[in-house]
Amino acid sequence: MAEYRLDCLGEACPVPLIKTQKKMEQLKVGDTLIVEIDHSCAMKNVPEWARKVGHNVEIEEVDDGEWEIYIEKTK
Amino acid sequence: MNFTNSPLYKKIFKDAWSYWTGAILLAILNTAMLAISGKGWGVTTTFAYWGAWISKLFGADVSGWDFFQIEANAKALGQSVFTNTGSAQNIGIIAGALLATLLASQFKIKKLKSYKQVIAAALGGLLMGYGARIAFGCNIGAFFSGIASMSLHGWIYAVFIFLGAWIGSKLLVRYFMT
Amino acid sequence: MEDVKKPKRKKKNQVPAGVGLLIVLVVIGIVLAGISPMLSIYWIFGISFGFVLQKARFCFTAAMRDPVLTGSTSLARAVIVALMLATIGFAAIQYSAVSKGLPVPGNIHPAGIFTAIGATMFGVGMVIAGGCASGTLMRVGEGFVQQWIALVFFIIGSMWGAHDYGWWSKVFFSKSPAVFLPDIFGWAPAFFGQLIVLAILFAVAEWYENKKLRSEEE
Repeated sequence: MAEYRLDCLGEACPVPLIKTQKKMEQLKVGDTLIVEIDHSCAMKNVPEWARKVGHNVEIEEVDDGEWEIYIEKTK
Repeated sequence: MNFTNSPLYKKIFKDAWSYWTGAILLAILNTAMLAISGKGWGVTTTFAYWGAWISKLFGADVSGWDFFQIEANAKALGQSVFTNTGSAQNIGIIAGALLATLLASQFKIKKLKSYKQVIAAALGGLLMGYGARIAFGCNIGAFFSGIASMSLHGWIYAVFIFLGAWIGSKLLVRYFMT
Repeated sequence: MEDVKKPKRKKKNQVPAGVGLLIVLVVIGIVLAGISPMLSIYWIFGISFGFVLQKARFCFTAAMRDPVLTGSTSLARAVIVALMLATIGFAAIQYSAVSKGLPVPGNIHPAGIFTAIGATMFGVGMVIAGGCASGTLMRVGEGFVQQWIALVFFIIGSMWGAHDYGWWSKVFFSKSPAVFLPDIFGWAPAFFGQLIVLAILFAVAEWYENKKLRSEEE
């Protein structure tokens, strides 16, 4: 049940999504990845991808224009 | 503030709209633009005007170029950012995006993370600027408005923008990921 | 990689600044209307486009890039819907203009090998710069420094293209007619044909995404 962080602040699409996809492959089932982003489009496409694949997703707005996406690997 | 807690505020100004909502509204706006001006939505021609006006500030005369011999472009050359409709529209796009971001309380200056982003932005900007001139438009003018106008160039553009996006994706992953 | 959660920062409320900006935008609109009504109309259109693009996170770059890069076609399908709706609206306006004997309105330009070259260049550029023309402007407004740089070079590239326009024009454009599809196929076949092609593309996009997702699960 480890928790990992991925810093994608200042990065534009599609970089946050590619990095998230790569990182998720390394995680074990039950682990959580926290993706830090400040790109409004990535705030939409990263959770969208993760949900489609079937992971549990939660988004938290930690500051103005800055989000943390919690992705729990389910399979 | 009470207003920002209301569900209506949250739905319209705080949360992102669906892609479909965007698609419907953009189609309506583009159609309205054609109805009013006789031209579909376009963005990049104005960038050439901005370049020409900046060149003029530095004393360079571009009015002899074939591009600026075309009637509409010659006319724009004599205008300024305050009297040119394309400029009002493009600055409006920046202002509208800023407005939406502020009303959602999500504005943030997103700083550069690596020098690679500078190279990518510069190279990408140059390619897009040049490409749009010879393709007669960008994703908006040639693709969105071009196809909606049932112009062949819009469809050719559509096929090759995918090719370009594919090559660009390979380059991005290989060279520009931090 | 760290396990500790960062302490939460105190959020500021930017809505008052947004309301202030709205008032400024309205005042500018009134001033522009004084110069010329058309200016303020384009101003309102621009603000509306920017607002909608930002709210819906509508990104033409992602629509064309994500199918190859991530397998997602949700934006591509939305773009196809926008194209279908705009085709209907445009055709109505074009048809009524033509039946009055007026020239065809719209963005109808020469098509040829240069369209292919330009579009390919544009496609490479938009993916590495992280946004096309409308996307770059929208992200300039969102405060993205990388896009400010992209805009500067976009303008330089536009000037470069305008500079070479004469050569392209002499070698290619002058020999390549602008093709309005209804002139070739007739109005009904061109119009309905285009809608059918777009509908097929929509279905293909949906099938493609499902296929990609399935292969990811295996």
